[in-house]
Amino acid sequence: MEIIEKIKKNKLVKNQTEIQKICLDKLQTSPLPNPKSELWRLSNKSKFSNFLDYSFNEKDGRFDTPYPKNSQNTIRLIIGENCDIQLIGKNYSIEQLSEYELHKYIKEQISCFDQNENWSDLLNLSLSCKKNILGLKINGSKIPPIEIFSHASSDSLNAKTLVIFLEKNCDIELLQVNLGKDNSSLSQSTFFFLEENSSLNHGVVSYGKKESNLLNSLNVIQQKNSEYNLGSLHFKFNYARFEINIKQSEGNAKTNIKGMQITKKDEQISTYTKINFYGPNGFLDQINKSLADDKSHAIFEGSIIVPKIAQKTDASQLSRNLLLSDLAQIDTKPQLEIIADDVQCKHGATISQLNEEELFYMRTRGITLAEANKLQLSSYFQEIISFIPISKDRWDLLDKLLNEN
Amino acid sequence: MVKENLVKDVVKEPYKYGFVTDIETEKIEKGLNEDIIKLISQKKEEPKFLLDFRLKAFKKWQKMKEPDWASLGYKKIDYQDIIYYSAPKQKEKISSLDEVDPKLLETFDKLGIPLTEQKKLSNVAVDAVFDSVSIATTFREELAEHGVIFCSISEAVKNHADLIEKYLGTVVPASDNYFAALNSAVFSDGSFVYIPKGVNCPMDLSSYFRINSGDSGQFERTLIIAEESSSVSYLEGCTAPMFDTNTLHAAVVELIALDDASIKYSTVQNWYAGDEEGIGGIFNFVTKRGKCLGKRSKISWSQVETGSAITWKYPSCLLLGEESVGEFYSVALTNNLQQADTGTKMIHIGPKTKSTIVSKGISAGNSKNSYRGLVKMGTKAKGSRNYSQCDSMLIGDQASANTFPYIKSQQPNSEIEHEASTCRISEDQLFYLQSRGIEFEESVSMMVSGFCRDVFNQLPMEFAAEADKLLALKLEGSVG
Repeated sequence: MEIIEKIKKNKLVKNQTEIQKICLDKLQTSPLPNPKSELWRLSNKSKFSNFLDYSFNEKDGRFDTPYPKNSQNTIRLIIGENCDIQLIGKNYSIEQLSEYELHKYIKEQISCFDQNENWSDLLNLSLSCKKNILGLKINGSKIPPIEIFSHASSDSLNAKTLVIFLEKNCDIELLQVNLGKDNSSLSQSTFFFLEENSSLNHGVVSYGKKESNLLNSLNVIQQKNSEYNLGSLHFKFNYARFEINIKQSEGNAKTNIKGMQITKKDEQISTYTKINFYGPNGFLDQINKSLADDKSHAIFEGSIIVPKIAQKTDASQLSRNLLLSDLAQIDTKPQLEIIADDVQCKHGATISQLNEEELFYMRTRGITLAEANKLQLSSYFQEIISFIPISKDRWDLLDKLLNEN
Repeated sequence: MVKENLVKDVVKEPYKYGFVTDIETEKIEKGLNEDIIKLISQKKEEPKFLLDFRLKAFKKWQKMKEPDWASLGYKKIDYQDIIYYSAPKQKEKISSLDEVDPKLLETFDKLGIPLTEQKKLSNVAVDAVFDSVSIATTFREELAEHGVIFCSISEAVKNHADLIEKYLGTVVPASDNYFAALNSAVFSDGSFVYIPKGVNCPMDLSSYFRINSGDSGQFERTLIIAEESSSVSYLEGCTAPMFDTNTLHAAVVELIALDDASIKYSTVQNWYAGDEEGIGGIFNFVTKRGKCLGKRSKISWSQVETGSAITWKYPSCLLLGEESVGEFYSVALTNNLQQADTGTKMIHIGPKTKSTIVSKGISAGNSKNSYRGLVKMGTKAKGSRNYSQCDSMLIGDQASANTFPYIKSQQPNSEIEHEASTCRISEDQLFYLQSRGIEFEESVSMMVSGFCRDVFNQLPMEFAAEADKLLALKLEGSVG
């Protein structure tokens, strides 16, 4: 009950919104996720309680966006600041969702929440005040790339929420950046609704600092003929969970996911994905990579659910993992639940270390061990990083990852 | 659409082992408590260590909760409504097969099990278990010449108590899981095999389990010990009559392989699966585990699961010895309202250990077929490898196929590969076969057989033929 008491005690939450009340009520029935459930079984308990230990804070500290705006035509938004947005271009419009629309949609979502599966969302929505919820309605085409920042403040627990409606035939590139601070916890929940024929190239880059924690939940609903591409990267968090929940509400949609998590020291980063096909002809191509070094622990659990209605679904899921240290560990569980008979579903998983033959070959060509390792890692990272829609000169992720190795 | 219906018809086949043998049996009263356990132990004239083992297990079982994590749905079992000991009445001591009740021999004859002299030509030694007790074990003298001990576990308790005391419960401890604890408390009979150092068992050993009464559970226990540089191939078969009640079968199988030893354990499981509405059938909740204790030891599980209303088992290997090998080959066919949650666990503890998993699931009708497997590389499993492959085939749009592989690695210098796929009977292949003049039914049967080929290749000859026939039988039927 501690967490509930904490939220209640918080003076700032006195004038709670209706959504906060609903979520708080729900949380009261099960204040913490069931540690025995598949979704939380492997989660490090002390790290998780450490996540909740920080005092809740609605006020943000000063935030300087990394890489100040350059000449490129990019729209940058920071959740918690400048939430009053109305951008209308020649071919597009980006507007803020009205409070009514926002509440209606979030309430609809909450009504189908599972207490355990959506615990992170419940926590997020019971904490997120009006200021920290950004709701956007986007339509049109030739929209400049959008960057949205969520950031934590030192020694506190912050909650940020993002809701985006993509209207029909809309096509955008969006990069979401979650930044941790020293000794901080960030709860980020994102809701996307893709209408017919819309397409979203979504990037999620989360990187922390010393002792920072993250609960990142992503909920996507895809209508028919929509396309959702996700490239994600999580690293440098003491404890991070990335929960992806995608629903193809009528089938006939395309989903591509390429994700990566890198753990070092005694970090624990986990990715949980659940893809539901509620109609025929759905398509999924998913790859998740983990790299675990030192004493760290990387977890991947992915489930693909194909009910009877989802005939002719084509889904594949691959989990590729690199284990680089004797003390590190990797858990992976790709799973299929299929009732439809006319489907093509496959999954694969591998855990290994860097290929010694490749290494040997490079060494015989006069490349030093360190260089050769770097080359191998860069080829491992490249597949994912090239899928994240970002401007290369500003976010040179590959360089960031390799040079910190 | 027509084709789909045909395929559905094809998988229907009546259960032909559903008869009941009318034989006088000795049953104890229903229910489970310490007195019942003492009574079972007393009936079997067991030494004290075994009674203590049972009582300890019972105490643990009482504290345990029935697990519910499997994706299975069944009515709660009333453990007090089961008879824990049922044995055909017979003369005090049997010195030869001639003294066995002819009705019993007839039963095994009907099942095609070679017990009688004239059928011994097939060169397979058989231990036949009827309800709670072992009826007969064949070829014992011949085996004894090689030093091989093959007898029922009750006899082993009397004649080889040292071995039983040393090994019983070392692979599957009494507290391992709910059903293993229950079995440890009430197990009635089963087989015991001991292969001495350097002996390659001259013939295949086989046990045949038959449940006859509808209200008694079957709790047998098998223990196989292969000493250094020995090898054995063991076959297990099972059937039960048709009752409209569910019967519980909670067995424990323990295998121990020492240095350079190899054990091959094959099962063809054809318990009664219940009728089309899912009434009746056996609950098959079995704990099977092998321990590769010695260096270069090998344990290989192969199974064909076609029966039981619910199958819930994971034959596993603990790979302790350096360079030890674990294998698991499985075909699971479910039809009507059958449910199966089966797979394996490969726990790599020692260095340079290897494991292979090949699992084929076929689900038809309204059945549910899940593969659940664990591959774990411990911190000392340097240079170890695992390869897993699980394929599912769906027949009809009401059946479900699930795959839950748990993969855990704590050793960077090891490799794990897993792949899984789901498909259905390919229309193109079906069309091709039919256009070559092969009948529909035979084409389906051929394709299913081809789908399972990797596993059938691993079965001993006698079993491969039986398994192929069994699948074909389940797939033959109303068509043509």
